[in-house]
Amino acid sequence: MKKEKKSASRRPDPGKAMLSAIMAFFFLGFLMLAVKDGSWQSCLLALVVPVIIYFGTAIIPKIFPADQLLLSLTNFLCALGVLTLYRLSPQRGLAQAVNYGVGVGAMLLCILLVRYGRHWKGLTVLMMGGSLFLLALPLLIGSEKNGAKSWINIGSLSAQPSEIVKLALMLCVSYLLSHRKVVLSVLFAGACLLLLMVQKDLGTALLYFGTVLILVFVATGSKLLLGAGLAGGAGAAVVGYQMFAHVKRRVAIWIDPWKDASGAGYQIVQSLIAIVNGGLWGVGLGLGNASVIPEYYNDFIFSVILHEFGIVFGLIVLCMYVFIVVRGIMIARRSRTVFHALLATACASLIALQTFVIIGGNIKLIPLTGVTLPFISYGGTSLVSSLCVIGLLQGVASVNEAGVREDRHLAMLSGGNMP
Amino acid sequence: MAGEAYEILALLMRYVFVLIGALVLLRAYRWMRRDARNYRREMRTLPDAGLVGEIVDLRTGKSQPLPREGDMGASRECDIHVRGAGVLRHHVRFAFEEGKGVMITPSRLGKTFLGGAQLRAPGYALHGTQLQLGDALLRVRLFAGLKVPHPVAWQPEEAAQDGGAYPAPAAEEDQYIDYSGADTTPSPFEFPRQPEEEAWAQSMLPTGASPMPPSPPQPNGAGSQPDYEGHYTEDGEMTWKYAYSLEELYKAQEALNHPPVPEHDEVNDEALPYQSPAARHRRRGRR
Repeated sequence: MKKEKKSASRRPDPGKAMLSAIMAFFFLGFLMLAVKDGSWQSCLLALVVPVIIYFGTAIIPKIFPADQLLLSLTNFLCALGVLTLYRLSPQRGLAQAVNYGVGVGAMLLCILLVRYGRHWKGLTVLMMGGSLFLLALPLLIGSEKNGAKSWINIGSLSAQPSEIVKLALMLCVSYLLSHRKVVLSVLFAGACLLLLMVQKDLGTALLYFGTVLILVFVATGSKLLLGAGLAGGAGAAVVGYQMFAHVKRRVAIWIDPWKDASGAGYQIVQSLIAIVNGGLWGVGLGLGNASVIPEYYNDFIFSVILHEFGIVFGLIVLCMYVFIVVRGIMIARRSRTVFHALLATACASLIALQTFVIIGGNIKLIPLTGVTLPFISYGGTSLVSSLCVIGLLQGVASVNEAGVREDRHLAMLSGGNMP
Repeated sequence: MAGEAYEILALLMRYVFVLIGALVLLRAYRWMRRDARNYRREMRTLPDAGLVGEIVDLRTGKSQPLPREGDMGASRECDIHVRGAGVLRHHVRFAFEEGKGVMITPSRLGKTFLGGAQLRAPGYALHGTQLQLGDALLRVRLFAGLKVPHPVAWQPEEAAQDGGAYPAPAAEEDQYIDYSGADTTPSPFEFPRQPEEEAWAQSMLPTGASPMPPSPPQPNGAGSQPDYEGHYTEDGEMTWKYAYSLEELYKAQEALNHPPVPEHDEVNDEALPYQSPAARHRRRGRR
């Protein structure tokens, strides 16, 4: 007995050790900022953020059914976003902290929706109608930002409906494909893409397209459909290039940003300079001047992280995204129903695509598109919707866990596995 | 001066942040590996995981595992592959619904019969329900313990009058076989038994087996006598020395699923020579 206890204590619980490391990271980060600027807000955040992380990672799974590993990684990335934004713009950092809290609440709702949701047929019809309405709304009352008319303003608040529709699209397409309604799901996704093209929100359209294409291939296994989808996507890209001037400009910047380094290519050039200045280990927290990059808080936040924390740390952050995606695929593979498997696949694909598109744009691997880096970029709608995606994934994980518990119960009743 | 001190601190802390980040990553990796290993181990002890029963082909006697949802038909893509004249490639779609049974949704073209009645709209199959796809005759068998209505509650004759298929059963609590609670568990030792039932039960036992337990005492105390395998409480309920409580069963199952792994096993160390990881890997590959 003693021996057993000893061996158990020798093996550290990876969850606890990981949580301690994450809390220490943000305590030290905010403490450094407090030392630098001497403000009480930084001191308070040095205490409050680790407590929120502890609550979000250790307490929530005890109350709600949730995957703790996924929560830990998500919380790390969200808190990293708050830290980076607070260092560059305290006002934005605090606003992001509030968004983070709202996002956690929304995530819990999504967990419960997937875990206890029953009438998916009615919900799907409702969400399909609602999604098309929401996507059409910016065309009627929206405002243009960075070339895309995808924002709506309600009083002092502004929101991007395509971020909310993203969730509905995943749920609806997963449900339809699980019932072998391929044509209907493709038609719905096509209608959403068309509305996004009219809004000129090509980055989000790319995400929608990629996610639906992956889902259709996973659900049907048809290489013909995959080929047709890729050919259609390539055709749409060529048409988009010919139709929209800002797409042409972005491709030109991507090919040679130095041609117009102080004009159209200023953003990407500054981003590349910041990354190179940071080097392998970064310039140090609070010592950089990454705020010279336009949209440093949104599209180019990964460049800011590379500048201040270094390329090695940037790779670690990238690995965290990879782990989240791998975990999502694991959850999809363990699902008991087609709908849940497709939903988890959709969530994992969306996070993977979004991360690839924006990080690829930051480091000039692909042309820059206006999407946010999940969990880190500044923006209420983006953060809340990213956390909702994790909530959907958590919900599927919770359903899987309930399934295993039921299997255990059935096996026990059959007596086959009893000692 | 303060600025310079902060600069030195920030330069030093760069490495600390990378170190903590790497630590988080390493822990996450180990956590994922451990979780995957535990899951695989658990699935080995639960060979029927994800299934709700089986489908037996009554002509060939062959059975196929019944997953929670999927397709039945002649196509090899189907979860339940059925052969026979008149069976379509995707003949019916099925999905297990807790509290209702296995919902069978027929295709428009094929002929499907559920419990002898032709199925035109979705209907529910319960344990023992006979299903006919074209010429193929199948029987649905569900695991004990699933929360589904008792098949006796729906007679095929009654169902046939209601439009040719089983109607969706009403969710009435008393119609379920709920094995999770001891109070509602139907038992072969259900009391009071009629004398002829008792005689029949005794005759069914193999020679030399322990006799069936006697009927419990009546509420007025008459016939209250302890027997050699069990005893009665004051309320007339029977307890058995070999009957595990639900908690004990759970504990036993948990112990089986997660056996304690000793870190240092002296006996094994002596018996087995050391093998390098590469050799172990090769051995696994050969297996």
